[in-house]
Amino acid sequence: MSVKLVERITKIFIYTILVLFALIMIFPVIYTFLSSFKSNMEFMANPANFIPEKFTLENYSKMFDSMQFNMPKLFWNSTYYTVICVAISVISGLVGAYVFSRGEFPFKKALFALYGSLIFISVGSISIYPTFDVLNLFNIPRSLLGLMVVKLFSIPVVYIFLIKGYIDSLPKELDEAAEIDGCGFIGILFKIIFPLLKPILATVIILAFKGTWNEYLMPAIFTLTNPEQKTLMVALIDLKNSSEGATSWTLMLAASTVALLPVLIVFVSCNKYFVQGLSEGAVKG
Amino acid sequence: MEYRTKQLTRKNGIRSRKIKMSVQCYLLLSVQIIGLVLLSFYPIVWSLKWAFYYYTGVPSETHFVGWQNFIKLFTDDTSYFHSWIITLKFTFIKLPIELALALFIAILVNNRLIKGKTFFRSVYFFPTIIATSIIAVVFSNLFDYYGFINFLLKKVGLISSAIDWISNKNLAMIFLVITSIWANIGTNILYFVAALQNIPNDLYEVARIEGASPVAVFFKITLPMILPVFQIVLLLGINGTLQTGEFVVLLTNGAPGGETLTVLAHIINSYLPGFTNGVINIGYGAALSFVTSIIMCLIGVGYMKLSNKIKNMY
Repeated sequence: MSVKLVERITKIFIYTILVLFALIMIFPVIYTFLSSFKSNMEFMANPANFIPEKFTLENYSKMFDSMQFNMPKLFWNSTYYTVICVAISVISGLVGAYVFSRGEFPFKKALFALYGSLIFISVGSISIYPTFDVLNLFNIPRSLLGLMVVKLFSIPVVYIFLIKGYIDSLPKELDEAAEIDGCGFIGILFKIIFPLLKPILATVIILAFKGTWNEYLMPAIFTLTNPEQKTLMVALIDLKNSSEGATSWTLMLAASTVALLPVLIVFVSCNKYFVQGLSEGAVKG
Repeated sequence: MEYRTKQLTRKNGIRSRKIKMSVQCYLLLSVQIIGLVLLSFYPIVWSLKWAFYYYTGVPSETHFVGWQNFIKLFTDDTSYFHSWIITLKFTFIKLPIELALALFIAILVNNRLIKGKTFFRSVYFFPTIIATSIIAVVFSNLFDYYGFINFLLKKVGLISSAIDWISNKNLAMIFLVITSIWANIGTNILYFVAALQNIPNDLYEVARIEGASPVAVFFKITLPMILPVFQIVLLLGINGTLQTGEFVVLLTNGAPGGETLTVLAHIINSYLPGFTNGVINIGYGAALSFVTSIIMCLIGVGYMKLSNKIKNMY
């Protein structure tokens, strides 16, 4: 009896801590969401009143006719930039992973070691200048398009490792059977391997989507001279640093809500790929 | 005779197939290899070259300065030295709190009496998917002079009047640490929960039957069993925290007066186009970045050497 009582108290105690901690973790997001429906006046007067007294959509409508913060345009920029970059890095990661997993060619080991070392060897953000040199050499403009070209030639090391690990675990007999049927090296990738990669590709696509959508530094630098190509995250920080932003917190919080929405939807609907994929990686690694 | 020719042609067949495959592999990798040379190697060579120049992008002003950039960096650049102090301070305050809290929460989540493990894990992981830009807006608002945190602290009675969080270097550091822990702790909880789930339940059963105290269970079973994962989490944590740059630029941008600029934030803030006004000495920035990368690498290697020693002790 007393053991059961102790267990019960422990259980309540643990649940209390876990729920409290969960509330702290999601509080900033709920606060942002609710505040975005307040007028700036109401918000400034009483920041602790969570539920809006007078529910208003004025912050959201402002985003459609503000010249400085034109949401449809910004959303579109972020969307096409993200979709193309995700496609590029996932395909590049897939091809790299397949070649290093199943291909046989001279200097394979050395090249793969070089890929791995890329995580550690880099001069950091200053490499933007030599990157500009290279772009100038080929007459590629400094714009969102130019940044996509940079992405095309960048090596998605993490995605290659993730996908390679998965391909390595597939039985080699599959390839051999297809080879006997006359399937070539590239054919095997698309006909045999690719359809089996769904779970790991889902994880990689989600990681790439989150990463690109949330990116700030590179899009900011590449759209310096092309303000009409700014992505949502870049414009959000511009708004924060501008005089308009300082006087209208609720507009910024509404913009933050819209900017968060796509990643939030993906997170909620594909949660298992996020959390499980990463957890498995942790234990294996 | 006939058999030999057959064997030879087969050999040739295998060899030609091997060559064909090598060509195909290199073709498939061609884009990445070009990128490797132009976007990974060239920047290193570039920074090694320009580190010895005064270089602002204007050709007529560019001139060779020898070791001067490096000499200045080690003897005369107080802001760079200061940014390392700030980085180390940030790391040593943030990481112990974050990892201890993450482990504590993970152990609670993993308790056998608790249901809804996946739910809690997901909620705690949620902040890690939020863009730094959004975090910057939301937390700047929460910690604003007229913001929610000040209101709350006043209500509870911890402070008598509102504080300006980014006017004081210690308060600004607390602001960064709190925000950073909120944004990153989910990943660590995820890793710790995964590691804890891998500990066989029998061990705990035996400990329970033997009547071991929770503290003893923690130090004798839990900690040794998750040590490998703990070391990886610690390495990722050290690496990630030392590399904090964009986060600081977006949250405080060094306020007050550069007192929160970490090393990478200092480089972004002083040497990248669009982040600084006036003339940028890119040559000096190259020297700075080169030295910084080497120091970061050494810290990583040093940690791995140390953690191997710890592993051998157990």
